[in-house]
Amino acid sequence: MPDAVAAAPPSGEAAEAALEFLTQMSPDLRGAAILGPGGEVLAGTGEEPERWGEDAAALFAAADEAEGSPVEQVHIATEQGEVFAVRNAGLAVVTVTDRFALASLMLFDMRSTLRQLASPNSGGSGPPRSRKGED
Amino acid sequence: MPPKPHRVLLERVSVYADEAAAFMRRRRVARRPFARLYYPHGRSADHAQDSRSGAELFVAAGRLIEVAGKKQKG
Repeated sequence: MPDAVAAAPPSGEAAEAALEFLTQMSPDLRGAAILGPGGEVLAGTGEEPERWGEDAAALFAAADEAEGSPVEQVHIATEQGEVFAVRNAGLAVVTVTDRFALASLMLFDMRSTLRQLASPNSGGSGPPRSRKGED
Repeated sequence: MPPKPHRVLLERVSVYADEAAAFMRRRRVARRPFARLYYPHGRSADHAQDSRSGAELFVAAGRLIEVAGKKQKG
C-alpha cells in the first residue's frame, strides 16, 4: 500500500458497521467490502465475502501496473455495472454499483468511510458522518 | 387573455425537466465503458478497453461485479 498505514487496523465489528452505513447511504450499491492493511477482508457483503479479497487484490495489482505507480482510486464503468475502489491509510474499500451511479458521491462516501475507520480518535468504531449531515 | 403567472412558471419548470430527462437519455445511450485511475495529487488517467492495461482492469472489474451479484433489496 502506498499510503501511511493506520495505527491499528479497525476491528471487524467497526468495519461491519461502516459497511452497513455505506450500504444505507448508497442506493445504487450492489455489494462492497472493506479490506485491511494486508488485503484481508474485514467486512464484505454477499454469500462469499472472502472472494472480495482476492478479486480486489487483482484489481489493485492491474491498476498499479497500468502506469507503474500506485493508484489512489479506481473507477471502472462496464455494461454490467460500475466498480469503485479507494485506498486510504492502509485500508481499502471496494464497491460495485448499478450503472450510472454518481461517481463523485460514491467516491466521497468511500473516502469518508476509510478516513473514519482509520481515525485513531474514533477508534474505528463509529459510522462515518453522512454527507446529508452537512446540510 | 394572458396566462396565469403560476401556469407560466409551471410550464417553464416542465420544459427544464424535459431538457434534463433528454440529457440523461442521451448520456445513457452515448456512454461507453471506461476505466479511470486516480493518482495522488489529483492526476488521473483513462485506459481504453482494447489496451492491455485496460483489458486487465475490465477483467478484474468483471470478477468483482460477479462477486457482488445482484442488487440486494431492503
